[in-house]
Amino acid sequence: MPLRLAFRLAFRLAFCLLLLLCGALLARPLAAQPVLNVYNWADYIDPYMVQRFQAETGIRIRYDVYDSLETLEGKLSSGRSGYDLIVPTSEPSFARLVRAGALRPLDRARIPNWANLDPGLMARVATVDPGNRFGAIYLWGTVGLGVRVDALRQLLPGARFDQLDLLLNPENAAKLARCGLAVMDSATDVLPSVLRWLGKPPDSTAAADLRAAEQALLAIRPHLRAIPGSGALLDMLARGEICVAMTYSGDVIQAAARAREAGRGVEIAYAAPASGAHLWFDLLAIPADAPNPEAAEAFIDFLLRPESMAAITGHVRYPNAVPASRPLVPEAVREDPSVYPSAESLAQAFVPGTLGPAEDRARSRLWNRFKAGR
Amino acid sequence: MRAALVAAPFLWLLALVLAPALLLGWIAFGSAAEGVPPVAPPLAWQAGALSWQGSLESFALLLEDPHYAGALLRSLLVAAGTAALALLLAYPMAFAIAEARPRWRLPLLALVLAPVWTGLMPRLGAWIGLLRDEGWINGVLLRLGLIEAPLTLLFSDIALYAGMLHSYLPYAVLPLAIALSRRDRLLEAAAADLGAAPARVFLSVTLPLSLPAAAAAFLLVFIPAAGEFVIPELLGPPGDPLLGRVIWAEFFQSRDWPLAAALALTLLAVLALPIRAYQRLGQG
Amino acid sequence: MARLILVLGLLFLWAPILLLAGYAFSADRIPFQWGGFSLRWFAALAENARVQEAALLSLSVATGAATLACLAGGLAGWALARGGRFCGRPLFGLLAGAPLVLPEVVMGLSLLLLFVLAQGAAETLLGWRLERGAGTIVLAHATLGLAYVAVLVQARLARLDPRLEEAAADLGAMPRVVFLTITLPQMVPSLVAGWLLAFTLSLDDVVLASFVSGPAGTTLPVLIFSSLRMGLTPEVNALGVVILVLVLAAVGVAGWVLRGRGGDPG
Repeated sequence: MPLRLAFRLAFRLAFCLLLLLCGALLARPLAAQPVLNVYNWADYIDPYMVQRFQAETGIRIRYDVYDSLETLEGKLSSGRSGYDLIVPTSEPSFARLVRAGALRPLDRARIPNWANLDPGLMARVATVDPGNRFGAIYLWGTVGLGVRVDALRQLLPGARFDQLDLLLNPENAAKLARCGLAVMDSATDVLPSVLRWLGKPPDSTAAADLRAAEQALLAIRPHLRAIPGSGALLDMLARGEICVAMTYSGDVIQAAARAREAGRGVEIAYAAPASGAHLWFDLLAIPADAPNPEAAEAFIDFLLRPESMAAITGHVRYPNAVPASRPLVPEAVREDPSVYPSAESLAQAFVPGTLGPAEDRARSRLWNRFKAGR
Repeated sequence: MRAALVAAPFLWLLALVLAPALLLGWIAFGSAAEGVPPVAPPLAWQAGALSWQGSLESFALLLEDPHYAGALLRSLLVAAGTAALALLLAYPMAFAIAEARPRWRLPLLALVLAPVWTGLMPRLGAWIGLLRDEGWINGVLLRLGLIEAPLTLLFSDIALYAGMLHSYLPYAVLPLAIALSRRDRLLEAAAADLGAAPARVFLSVTLPLSLPAAAAAFLLVFIPAAGEFVIPELLGPPGDPLLGRVIWAEFFQSRDWPLAAALALTLLAVLALPIRAYQRLGQG
Repeated sequence: MARLILVLGLLFLWAPILLLAGYAFSADRIPFQWGGFSLRWFAALAENARVQEAALLSLSVATGAATLACLAGGLAGWALARGGRFCGRPLFGLLAGAPLVLPEVVMGLSLLLLFVLAQGAAETLLGWRLERGAGTIVLAHATLGLAYVAVLVQARLARLDPRLEEAAADLGAMPRVVFLTITLPQMVPSLVAGWLLAFTLSLDDVVLASFVSGPAGTTLPVLIFSSLRMGLTPEVNALGVVILVLVLAAVGVAGWVLRGRGGDPG
């Protein structure tokens, strides 16, 4: 009976396929060529650097990207992520990973270019990583306002962009609502600046301070068009859908470049709060259970060369922490004060301290209430 | 042989559904801590003996903070709304497919399913392109002079339902089309022979016979929609997060794994009734 | 009336897709802005090794997961409808339906926990360093697809008159022969439908894949989701068109091969 035969054949085939699949799943990864598994933010490197490292060392890089710290921490906090090099932000992820014992101390003997790092900036990270044992600064930046200059000139002529008043003052917010206001969806990166604007300590845990911050946010909540992830916010800014947005410096600068490229008359500018901006750092770090930490250290050393860092900063428009790279950065980026803040605004800037798990949760619940508008 | 054939999928389900679910329950009674993973398990080996260190804190918090009940309620409402809309649209679509010539049925079904094959992200991107302020819909309405200023469509309930319906409609059409094209047409012919008008035949024979399939289609949309995460995140209004989003936030942002697990278990308990109903339909 | 609604429904389903397809040929950098006809986004796609890798991974994961789901889900559906009474049947039924109701976030998370546990066990007991990656995604997607296939198959068999099988057995057919000649052919349409459904689910999934994947386990939807910060470029539109055409062609071929089976979707 041909039909029966056909089915039997199909069954055997399917069974073989199943066996093959099981075999493939269980097969141990072949260790012929050393592999370095890198997990970095999306669009956060000059891709040429990856190629160059591979060519120089013969180490193959498998490069994966994430769009939010949550994704990174989700992968990392369960353990055995398989990654050798990650780039968490100082607060909250890096600090948390340090405290949880999820990172491996860096062997500075293998990273001679460590000496290139700016000690002043490294000292700022030492608050969460005493002695800088676990992380080297990759890139850094501030939290501030992305502004659609061409629209604001008409709506609020003469307004200062380097004041959070532009967004957080309900009167301004009401005027600008039609034009589009947005705040990035990140309690850890928005609340410190709001607290500072209110004249409170940015890492305050006092219930009264947090309530004041919540009130301030709720007051502008009806005027917000969206509370998107920072990535989506970048896109909205570039398209000209948002007039004022609170987000990361480099994102705004990228959005500005993209808006210029599109040539539709959308003009975007970045301004950090003059009274003191929230400073953040992304750090190169190695998970405690990394399969190939030596390769990761070799890559860190490679990245900390002035030429590498200059190329990366030129490409992604975030400043780095290797001062010797500055003269090598393309002039348009080097001289842009929104990329490299001035010395005095850097002195004004603050790095919020670390919060305990309970305070952290209290803040994220506050954030939930703000998002829901209650 | 028979035993082996039953055992194979059973083992699969035990390993990949029951075991993870038990892990989840295990964690729900633990408490948040710093470490890898960030949970203190409810049972710990202490001083040579097992000691219970679990807590019901997470469940207590669920009841205490209206944020969670609100998210659950809204999730169920959105899911029910989506499922109802999908059913209203899917039933006539499936009926038309079932009534088409047999050789047209499969191509028509493929036509219904195909938009899904572009992938979720390009599809949602298309909706963003349609709905945003300078998007197509606003452009057309403006040009027709029906509105003076662009409507805010993106990040609204309209966008949310449009996106959800677009993603889930094919899943509702599929079971209905299958059931309707397989139905016993003799009964309808008999009713017609006995003098019933076509509308009457449909209302008193076809429709009642297809109700189980309709209920299945409803549930097939309702159940996964209740936990949907990506569509509300990209199209929906920013406030009032749905439960999928809340679980995500508790898990990743607050890193409160016990609370996230407790939320997941709650959703599961609430959905136990519909899933049971759905399985009954499958058997009947 | 029903036909009108079918046309309207298809219009609703297809309007965004056609728009997306049309604007994939626009030269403008901003998606859904017409900037003259151009193939530049397809060219960009052809040069984008990352996207190609991810697309290939997605397609192979979806194929593997759908096939596994069909095998396991077909057996599960058959066991539920025809397995008779066996120990743990109610539990079995519950588990087979559970992936339908577990929110993706929850399922991804719990599977991740399981895989981490398994990795630990493999390393301490066998000395193997297993990696999370494409394999774990296939397992996760197959588990999700399994539930859908099982439901379809079970529903199909529930409507199949058991007397047909009994008659064959009475006429002296061995149980295996009964299964192969009567039960299985009746299951085929629902298996095909289930395969397509599982394939589609896998191709569409962001959440499960982003939970359980490891290095080099970036599927296409995960890649696009994580590069939203670059904004939706028309490249994404072009990609949607390419995938759609590929899958449509595959389905067309499959339909043509299966056309002898009566063209009945049930």
